[in-house]
Amino acid sequence: MERQEIFEKLNEIFIDVLDLDECNLTDETSANDIEEWDSLSHIQLIVAIEKAFKIKFSSLEIMKWNNVGEMVDSMLQKL
Amino acid sequence: MVVNSVRFLLFFIVVFTVYYLPVSKKYPRFQNLWLLLSSYFFYGVADWLMVPLLIGATIVFYGLGAWLKSEMRKRHQKNASRLTTLGVCLGIGLLLYFKYLNFFAESFAELLSAIGLKATWTTLSIVLPIGVSFFTFKLISYIIEIHREHIEPCKDFIEFATYIAFFPTLLSGPIDRPNTFIPQLRRSHSLDYVQAVDGCRQILWGMFTKICIADHLALVTDSIWADYSSQSGSTLLIWTLLYTMQIYTDFDGYSNMAIGVGKILGFNITRNFNHPLLARNIAEFWRNWHISLTSWITDYVFMPLNIAFRNLANWGVMLAVVINIVLIGLWHGANWTFGLFGLYHAMLYVPLVLSGSFGKNKKLRPNDHGLPKWTDFWKMLLNYFLVSLGFIIFHADSIADAFRFFGGILSTSLFSMPSLPLKKATLLFILIVLILEWTTRKKEHPLQLPTDGIFRYMAARYLLYAGIGLMLFLFAGEVETFIYFQF
Repeated sequence: MERQEIFEKLNEIFIDVLDLDECNLTDETSANDIEEWDSLSHIQLIVAIEKAFKIKFSSLEIMKWNNVGEMVDSMLQKL
Repeated sequence: MVVNSVRFLLFFIVVFTVYYLPVSKKYPRFQNLWLLLSSYFFYGVADWLMVPLLIGATIVFYGLGAWLKSEMRKRHQKNASRLTTLGVCLGIGLLLYFKYLNFFAESFAELLSAIGLKATWTTLSIVLPIGVSFFTFKLISYIIEIHREHIEPCKDFIEFATYIAFFPTLLSGPIDRPNTFIPQLRRSHSLDYVQAVDGCRQILWGMFTKICIADHLALVTDSIWADYSSQSGSTLLIWTLLYTMQIYTDFDGYSNMAIGVGKILGFNITRNFNHPLLARNIAEFWRNWHISLTSWITDYVFMPLNIAFRNLANWGVMLAVVINIVLIGLWHGANWTFGLFGLYHAMLYVPLVLSGSFGKNKKLRPNDHGLPKWTDFWKMLLNYFLVSLGFIIFHADSIADAFRFFGGILSTSLFSMPSLPLKKATLLFILIVLILEWTTRKKEHPLQLPTDGIFRYMAARYLLYAGIGLMLFLFAGEVETFIYFQF
């Protein structure tokens, strides 16, 4: 899967889980940038992403990410 | 050596002078070495037998950090995980041994006796090293952050040792993370006048809340608790409300003093309190009370658990919350009361988790008159009351003791006049603190005075500081070592 494709799908997931009107994720986007993205919705996002892409992250992977870019890097390794 | 003492002042004058000598500033390593030696001296005065423990633990974790990184570089993921687990276990092990060994063994012996098996445990005389709950957490944090690739291990041992032993926060926190603290050790420090003055003001405020409020409240609450069975329900109710104020002014006071000392030395120490009395629910409370502890346990216990339980929906979150907050409770000491304290707070989270508002950080907006909205105000009162009830459990010697106290409140004498040996001045100071809690909620501490209004005049500012100084002088009774020292 292409990086751009992943971002498009992630935007949809974020809009759905966080109840946003629109979303334009970039490599640098982090929880600090989106008000609705808190510790609880973080977990809901991960569950939704794992389901949508049919992948499973390890706990360590999840805790290492500092932004969306790093999360997508992890995803590319699995897709 | 408590910060609000003459001994500390003398100590600090020496530290400060050498630290900012023209020659020192050229060499950050020398400044760190001086800080380190001062810190070990400071710790030695508090507990000289434990200095080898502190040094030994520092050496072990320094080596562990380096070894962990080398395994990570070689992509030996399993070894890296094992070393991280080892680090965590060593740190927790230290804590468990010094703090909880007798507690676990006695509880286990009681359990065995309760089911008919004879068991006795001769309580080991294990002296609790001061500060162990704080520096072990820094050591563990260091290893975990290396493993999560958020920091590099320290090449310089002095740098690492200074982070662990940094005297303003060594005995009672705030618990600084290596990510934000260690970079500050890598640059040389020249006296930043503005920061140092802010630090002095913060120390002054911390002293005020501790000496003029907390210390006096401690005398009142201790005397009432010692004899609570003969007090009226109304007195006990007032006790309950005052005790929370006592802990807050005590610990916030200490934290402000520690942070202020750090600022004078050019360091930004992490915050510990952010107007927790304005919290509208228990989640907001813990985000703003003893922040360095809550965030530590959130990052290293709650998040991993939450991630591990992520497919259990609300049950997973609730389980993670319960474990998290019971651990926060038990961190405070080796007694079932602390566990129950944690469990009580966990129950207060249930409505938040179920409604989904648990993680939400709703901004606190004033009404048109600059005051809190009515709905927010009632929530603050309710939350304060619920938190205060929890602190009865926290203070009691045993669970039975706590329930006897509760029983004492819920008696017919609840509607009689309370009687407490409370000074009118203390009540006035409490009122001032409550008002400032709201009006200075965007400031780090109330003595960050506005630059407009009356305080733009130097005379007004100095009059205020002198006034507070006078209060300190008038109210300085015995120097009460504060509650969190025993942790």
